[in-house]
Amino acid sequence: MHTLEISDLKVHFPGRHGAPVRAVDGVSLHVAAGETMGLVGESGCGKTTVANTTVGLLGPSAGSVKVMGTELAGADRRTLRAVRARAQMVFQDPVTSLNPRMTIGDAVGEPLYVRGIASGRALRERVAGLLDEVGLRPEHAGRYPHQFSGGQRQRIVIARALALRPALLVCDEPVSALDVSVRAQILNLLVDLQARHGMSSLFVSHDLAVVRHVCDRVAVMYLGRIAEVAGRDALFASPRHPYTRALLASVPEPDPVVQRAKPRVPLAGEIPSPADPPAGCRFHTRCPMVAEVCRREVPALRAVGESVVACHLA
Amino acid sequence: MAEAALTVENLSLDLGPARLVDGVGFSVAPGEVMALVGESGCGKSVTAQAIMRLLPDVIRQSGGRIRLGADDLTALPERAMQTIRGRRLSMIFQEPQAALDPLSTIGAQIAETLRAPLSRVRGEVRRMLEDVGISDPERRIDQHPFELSGGMCQRVMIASALIARPAVLIADEPTTALDVTIQAQILDLLRRLATERRTAVVLITHDMGVVADIADRLAVMYAGRIAETGPTEGIFAAPRHPYTALLLASIPRLSDAPKSLLAVIEGRVPTPAEFGPGCRFASRCPRADAMCRSVTPVLGEVAPGHAIACHHPLGVGEAV
Ligand SMILES: Nc1ncnc2c1ncn2[C@@H]1O[C@H](COP(=O)(O)OP(=O)(O)OP(=O)(O)O)[C@@H](O)[C@H]1O
Ligand SMILES: Nc1ncnc2c1ncn2[C@@H]1O[C@H](COP(=O)(O)OP(=O)(O)O)[C@@H](O)[C@H]1O
Ligand code: SF4
Ligand SMILES: [Mg+2]
Ligand SMILES: [Mg+2]
Repeated sequence: MHTLEISDLKVHFPGRHGAPVRAVDGVSLHVAAGETMGLVGESGCGKTTVANTTVGLLGPSAGSVKVMGTELAGADRRTLRAVRARAQMVFQDPVTSLNPRMTIGDAVGEPLYVRGIASGRALRERVAGLLDEVGLRPEHAGRYPHQFSGGQRQRIVIARALALRPALLVCDEPVSALDVSVRAQILNLLVDLQARHGMSSLFVSHDLAVVRHVCDRVAVMYLGRIAEVAGRDALFASPRHPYTRALLASVPEPDPVVQRAKPRVPLAGEIPSPADPPAGCRFHTRCPMVAEVCRREVPALRAVGESVVACHLA
Repeated sequence: MAEAALTVENLSLDLGPARLVDGVGFSVAPGEVMALVGESGCGKSVTAQAIMRLLPDVIRQSGGRIRLGADDLTALPERAMQTIRGRRLSMIFQEPQAALDPLSTIGAQIAETLRAPLSRVRGEVRRMLEDVGISDPERRIDQHPFELSGGMCQRVMIASALIARPAVLIADEPTTALDVTIQAQILDLLRRLATERRTAVVLITHDMGVVADIADRLAVMYAGRIAETGPTEGIFAAPRHPYTALLLASIPRLSDAPKSLLAVIEGRVPTPAEFGPGCRFASRCPRADAMCRSVTPVLGEVAPGHAIACHHPLGVGEAV
């Protein structure tokens, strides 16, 4: 059994002018035990929507989402509550994810207390252990969020997410809101926690270098669908989907010699609207390889080399 | 090097008792892209606003000079500045949609830079739109900003900023709000226009990848001061300031070993209220000693055109 199993997931939102926004439109992927799965793609492609669905914050319009074998689609509140203990989320903005009037010790201990798992001295000890685990001083448990920097607040959020020892940790852009000089602190912590706890993780980011750094496998999304899924090394060494290739070529490497020697393959045009996605392959309006069949038929995911790719010509 | 298009000398900016920007200086030659790089809050945007003479009321310029070619802008009356902005000195911003007037067509907005009705300069505006890569410019010219994507709005901003052929363009995080595939298009465009039109570009960014892509030179800012400045290839190959070196080592790259330990800069960026004596990086610097905490290091050359402000600089190729 995989920790997370998503099949043919659709999440549609009511649109402003009739047509629904097909934020997620037929996504299948799984996260195996102990594995960190990266989810990358450009703004609006549906990453956050997938992430929110896996922790029960959004209900699927169609398809199936299973956490540790339990189906979330159509689940009752008791089931959802039980699943939420197994799947915890870390959001992008550590400032808005913490209650400003709650001490950080109470914030970290709340999931344990609310579920009757620990209280009193046992709770204080658990909280101290969690703070220590994310590199914070246990004696700071009585302080409030505003007394901490952005990076420290993200550590607090992570400690809280770890409190129930989740099987799945879902991180949505966990370092994007942080100063460049503190991102490495949090990335090192996440890699260390993976190694120590062996939990599964879904790691959402638009930053390919960050995803490569922390993930074992990577799924590339485009306009509500999966373009390609592959092991990290295969995906970065031999991307099969033309969109994956374009995305990789567009990442500016912080090395002028490497960056300036890179072949320029600028991707023309803009991302179409998810309320009115192109027929056939959704990428065909920007694809440098586009052929007649791409405009007509939706490409199915199929194995090519070490990747699973949705492209007629891969 | 040709005569500088823009020279900033010893600029200081104060917010009440706090010195936000302290003695910042740099120059940019025609056709050159100079990156001003640093973390959020280090003073990049207020420096840009000071150059444009568009500082918010609460921030005061307490020292320094700004020269456009040979002309000193520092003492110029606001009326004279108005004739310079947009014509000799232009600026573009992070959020292009917010910077454009939602009620006016993009053609009319670009024409406004030329202080002419669109009907008279329509051909020129259309050619400029074409030059910044807007497809079907004849149709786009009469559209409103909401009908355009973020990437297209940034192209329109660039068209509007460059149509009067200013000597200097200040671009404040012009691609931060854009996706990477669109960012790549805009950076290529800026590089090409700088070269073709001999525009001097000050490119403000926090992204070392963007710097590596198109900057000829860079100045690394930390907490309101320049820590290191010099040619892009030289600094990336051998940073001499501990902050630059650590920053470069802390960024995950497509070429390093996955899950390896990244270099870490302990602590966090100080706020202006926390600025103390000495080097502002001292509280986080592994090399800091008593002198660093009391004496402010001044910028000194370590190689031609390459200067750093540090009491204990790294040797070439030395790790922190
Ligand atoms: N509650 C909602 N109502 C309507 N549309 C929505 C809603 N939430 C998301 N969308 C739309 O669904 C699409 C996918 O959004 P989502 O937030 O999942 O993207 P993302 O990949 O996380 O993007 P980003 O990189 O910008 O965070 C977008 O077009 C977005 O505008
Ligand atoms: N309008 C303003 N009023 C008060 N403080 C400001 C204002 N604009 C900027 N600052 C302060 O000036 C410093 C530098 O800010 P800024 O130039 O915006 O940084 P950057 O662009 O490098 O992120 C910060 O401490 C910031 O809080
Ligand atoms: S002056 Fe001292 S504290 Fe500042 S960067 Fe150099 S060694 Fe570090
Ligand atoms: Mg998102
Ligand atoms: Mg800024």
